[in-house]
Amino acid sequence: MNKQFNINELQLKYLELETLLDITNELNSFENVSILLQEILIKSCAVLNASSGLILMQNNNSDLFQIEAEFNIDVEALKGIIFNKKKGFFNEVNQNRKPLNIQISNDNFLARTNCTYGLIAPLLDKKELVGVIVLFDKESRAGISPFDDSDTNMLSAIASQAGVAYNNIKLMENIKEAKTFNDNIMQSIVTGVFTTNLMGEISHVNRAATAIINLEKEMVIGNHYEYVFESNEIINQLISKCEEVLATISETQIQIDCNGKSTSVNISVSPLLNDLNEPIGSVVAMEDLSNLDKLKSTFKKYVSKQIVDQLLENDEMLNLGGQEQEATILFSDIRGFTSMSESMSPTDVVETLNDYFNLMIEIIFKYNGTLDKIIGDALMVIYGAPNSSDKDTENAVLTAIEMQEKLIEFNQLRIINSKLPITIGIGINRGKVISGNIGSRQQMNFTVIGDSVNLASRLCSVAASDEIIVSDAVWKQVKDNKLFKGKKLSPVKVKGKAKPIQIKEILYHRPAFHYEQAFEKIEAFLIDHLPANYTYHTIHHIRDVVEQAEKIAKKEKMSKAEIEDLKLAAWLHDVGYIWEPTRHEARGAEYATTVLTALNFPKAKINKITGMILATKIPQSPKNRYEEIVCDADLDYLGRADYIENSNRLLQEIKLNKNITELEWLSIQDKFLRAHHYFTANSIQTRESKKQERLKLIHEQIKNIKNGTSRA
Amino acid sequence: MSSFIKSTKEANQIIIIETDGYLNNEGGEAISAICYEKIKGGQHKFLINMAGTKVVNSIGVSILIEIIEKLQEVNGKIGYYNLAPIVAKTFNIMGLTKYSTVFATEEEAVGAL
Repeated sequence: MNKQFNINELQLKYLELETLLDITNELNSFENVSILLQEILIKSCAVLNASSGLILMQNNNSDLFQIEAEFNIDVEALKGIIFNKKKGFFNEVNQNRKPLNIQISNDNFLARTNCTYGLIAPLLDKKELVGVIVLFDKESRAGISPFDDSDTNMLSAIASQAGVAYNNIKLMENIKEAKTFNDNIMQSIVTGVFTTNLMGEISHVNRAATAIINLEKEMVIGNHYEYVFESNEIINQLISKCEEVLATISETQIQIDCNGKSTSVNISVSPLLNDLNEPIGSVVAMEDLSNLDKLKSTFKKYVSKQIVDQLLENDEMLNLGGQEQEATILFSDIRGFTSMSESMSPTDVVETLNDYFNLMIEIIFKYNGTLDKIIGDALMVIYGAPNSSDKDTENAVLTAIEMQEKLIEFNQLRIINSKLPITIGIGINRGKVISGNIGSRQQMNFTVIGDSVNLASRLCSVAASDEIIVSDAVWKQVKDNKLFKGKKLSPVKVKGKAKPIQIKEILYHRPAFHYEQAFEKIEAFLIDHLPANYTYHTIHHIRDVVEQAEKIAKKEKMSKAEIEDLKLAAWLHDVGYIWEPTRHEARGAEYATTVLTALNFPKAKINKITGMILATKIPQSPKNRYEEIVCDADLDYLGRADYIENSNRLLQEIKLNKNITELEWLSIQDKFLRAHHYFTANSIQTRESKKQERLKLIHEQIKNIKNGTSRA
Repeated sequence: MSSFIKSTKEANQIIIIETDGYLNNEGGEAISAICYEKIKGGQHKFLINMAGTKVVNSIGVSILIEIIEKLQEVNGKIGYYNLAPIVAKTFNIMGLTKYSTVFATEEEAVGAL
């Protein structure tokens, strides 16, 4: 063999050094332990001419090693071998922390490798044995041989480097794991958290925080907090203050506005400290109160704030299971709202109901009532569930009284604003109910059911438009309270009860009725609502009827009080034209009942007024003197000099709906005048003759037209 | 054939041997066995495709040197291609590249030999 081709010792040492240098250079570039170990093993085998090798690493939970890297070896043959750190060769390496040169005998656990020699080097984490590199059978051209001291030193050097690299990777893995763990915690917590560094730049932000401040993470990280919270000076002030005093600063229930989203939050800012307790920034925690607010807000739609707070503080109070208990139930509903709403636009109906409900529900909550449900225009309120007190019934009656009293003020305002007033009847009962969550799986509501609830509803039906009707059970609980005055009513028969029910009307303060004020309000209402295209049924006609009614009444020697009632009927006699011209008398009577009740007009006299209104229906059919006067006042112009002007205005109004010839119009007038007669002595005396003259003229006109037509 | 030898073929009177695995004593012996047999048959040019060999030790290298010595006696040549960097580095340190050539591709190697 030519000497120049021999591999000399120098070359081998050079290869060893290069390999060691490679390992040193490369080891820290691996981020994965498995790849690192495989690379170490291959390089070790190559540089030390080992025929094969293994790297065994300690299992985290025991003293056993497991194969983490293998090279040129049949690992299947090694299955089932227990590599115990504290037994055999490994124990020796563990004890000495030094490489061990071994010869593998047939009875050795490594015999299955079919190798003869081995070199085991320890992989140490600090001083703890965490694994071993095992190389098998040093190769030579003459065959295999044991590893020598030089090999031992070389593997020891490699193992030492590998140990450092392994520890670094493990450390990095632990750091990453810890970071991931922390990130996961940060991301999963519902409290919004972000940190700032010494420069005031936001260095971390969790998902909850980005949701609260309504900004993407990328828009936040790296930016100064004063920039991010430009429009939320309070946050900037809190962080700034924390940086200054190096103590936790908190603020509750502050409203922050970020990127068009407004959120209510509790904020806590704490200094962020390093190991030396030196400040390195701030950590800001924000608790989003939206959900709590929503919960409270949802609750508050049904129960008073006081009850919400009590329930949130002590959820044991909220016994949602079905149970029998005593409760007081209040029902109220609006009278005549359905027909009233026919004349209103859908927007007005909703607005009216919302105004009404807002007012009523405020009162209900004031007295700790639980709004069970709103059924159309009716309200069902519970006192005594979900929480009860000894004032439940008293609170229910106080609620009813205040509802009626506030409604009077509410209606005054509505009437002034030319809106229809609202009147309600209220029924209250107390008794045993079944309370609990009742409904289907899809929708379940807390409510009360039972006979006592039904009776409360029936009492509400019995109550007139401004009355509060209570059962005997209610009255017994409140009668000793001097606040309440009850009026005994005749027992009533209600559906579902065999015997008549004893009831009481709860009295409340009603302001006196003022005619002049009522006239003004009704006049304003008519001006605002009478159809603008009407030419006859206008405010002028109504004023004329009022004037004539007063004149006739005076001539008929009516009392001052009677005259006021007559004027009231006169003001209201054509109000029904606003809604239904063909049934205007009936609609006018309905409105009169509502508005006069709302204005606290004596209930006993309401029928007198509505009677006068209804009497004006053609053919007029007065049943008493009052009705006669209003009827005569309504058609007073038939016997007056201004007949032509009035009839022309009426013709123009009729022509809004149908075409009519002159002859037809004259015929209508002829028929109408002949059928009409005045009822009061005064009208007969002052208007009848002129009316007859008018009738003659109309006859002549008809005759002339007919003749003219014949001639034509 | 040893499992180390993945395939052999001939192109332009060049024997191309494809290896797979550790070029150690065993691997080296497998290559040399083919080479010596082919030399006896009058073939003098060899190319080794080492795409499947990522590790080599000095014994494997020394066997390749023995093959080179044998080829010099018959005015033959041997070359290698598809070398992993660490294999190329080892060949370089061990002086192998002074007496044989490392090529980038088979085409280049066939053209040069």
